[in-house]
Amino acid sequence: MDLSLHDERIVMILGDVSVYLFKDFNDKYPNRLFNMGICENTLISVVAGLSSQGLVPFVHTIAPFVTERSFEQIKLDMCYNKFGGNIVSCGASFDYAWDGATHHCYTDLAILRLLPGIEVIQPGSYKELDVLLRSQYDNGNTTYFRLSDHPHEIDLPVQFGKGAVIKDIGAEITVMTAGPLLGNVLEACRDLPVNLIYFHTIKPIDRELVARYSRTKILVIHDAFGLYEAICEVPNLRVSYHGLSDEFCGWYGAVHDIRRKLGLDPKSLKEFIKNTIEKTGS
Amino acid sequence: MIPVCKEIRKEILKISNASGHGHIPTCFSIVEIMYAVYSNMKHYPKNPLWEERDVFLLSKGHAALGHYCTLAKLGYFDIKRVYSFGSFMSDFGCHADRFKVPGIEASTGSLGHGIGLAVGMALAFKLKKTDRRVFVVIGDGESNEGTIWEAVMVATNVGLDNLTIIYDNNMSHGRGLQIRNPAERFRAFSCEVVEVDGHDIDALGPEIAKRGNKVRVVVANTVKGYGCKTFVQDQYAWHRRSPNDSELEMLLRELDEETI
Repeated sequence: MDLSLHDERIVMILGDVSVYLFKDFNDKYPNRLFNMGICENTLISVVAGLSSQGLVPFVHTIAPFVTERSFEQIKLDMCYNKFGGNIVSCGASFDYAWDGATHHCYTDLAILRLLPGIEVIQPGSYKELDVLLRSQYDNGNTTYFRLSDHPHEIDLPVQFGKGAVIKDIGAEITVMTAGPLLGNVLEACRDLPVNLIYFHTIKPIDRELVARYSRTKILVIHDAFGLYEAICEVPNLRVSYHGLSDEFCGWYGAVHDIRRKLGLDPKSLKEFIKNTIEKTGS
Repeated sequence: MIPVCKEIRKEILKISNASGHGHIPTCFSIVEIMYAVYSNMKHYPKNPLWEERDVFLLSKGHAALGHYCTLAKLGYFDIKRVYSFGSFMSDFGCHADRFKVPGIEASTGSLGHGIGLAVGMALAFKLKKTDRRVFVVIGDGESNEGTIWEAVMVATNVGLDNLTIIYDNNMSHGRGLQIRNPAERFRAFSCEVVEVDGHDIDALGPEIAKRGNKVRVVVANTVKGYGCKTFVQDQYAWHRRSPNDSELEMLLRELDEETI
């Protein structure tokens, strides 16, 4: 709303999601918001078409449908044609835990980061979203913002493409994580002899920061795919991943239930990291 | 067949022969359509990025060779450049790249994408309160893709009276999933629909020029390979085949004799 006040090029495209949340926007700018319905492939193509004529589009709907289903439209219509815009999803990872595997989304970051020229952002907090959206929304690139209903509440300096050092005690093990899971990871790591690094930008990953810890054993903890693969861009790392396994998540409930089941709750994470420390012998 | 459309077809044949690439029959079905659109839209070959221009998109992007030959004939670039068609470092690929070819508004190729882009562009023109128009050619085989119908639904729902869809009804869909009575289907989606002979430039022109109150669809009944009986009689074999020298001679003769 605030950006739209100063930027008449902004157009909002909704996929029949969050429509009520945009009521004030629609009241104020009725010609700049379109609930185009449940047709995610076309939403992306339309966004590309709007962008081609100098407008600054945002498209918003549920993560798996706007990314996994619409991957080819993002790849060709937006990235290949360089008709950039902003894709803002909701329902990250297991936010819609109760809806089951059809609504879980954990490949979006991993697949989108493969597309040339795209920016992939997983804001973990309201502040991160606010800062990163303002800095990136009109740069002409395709930018993916992966929103969550469960943000962390840790206040960090935010700059696009830059990770944050949460804790550096010169340990032999460095935990790296991204997005809202930081809350659980920080709680788990607080009293353990590990370094902790945090990312909100998955692409471009902060290679310089990753490389700074290349002499340590890096443990990536994430409730999605994509961060680990991004970190592996940096050569000569000793890096392993803790998060999702090679099976569908067949449980319902709330996000904390799923995180506990996957061993991503603070207690399980603490045990896992402690075991890793013992095995490493540090 | 009007002379200019025959000349465009001859270039398509010669370039396909020289390069070993090209979907000739699908190009041949839309030569009159493309020529009629460019004859009725605002464009300026000497300045392809002229800000007041209308937009033409080829959603069935595999007919790129036909598009290149049409653009060359209109003066966008020298036809000689197109003879590098499909070769390494050529600007003229088998599917067009908007960054390489003047007059290409979007890089298309994967079927069912161009029409969604066209809807976005037409919506942008409405939002910017300009009278610029968007013309998009879709194939009947391409219309097996669900995104075609998603895009049509969105276009009619937001009232894009500046969008004209030309449906190349060359019966290529007959190979697989058939779309019977396409005009009826577009009407059911609330479009304004006319049906014309897609090789009759005098019939096509006025229907393309018209701008109504709704999304406009011109169902152009065409013949895949129109101009050469060899293509028409043996469509499957020639879908993606280039003529050798003796075949080229035969096809040019067929074209001159207007065997179909």
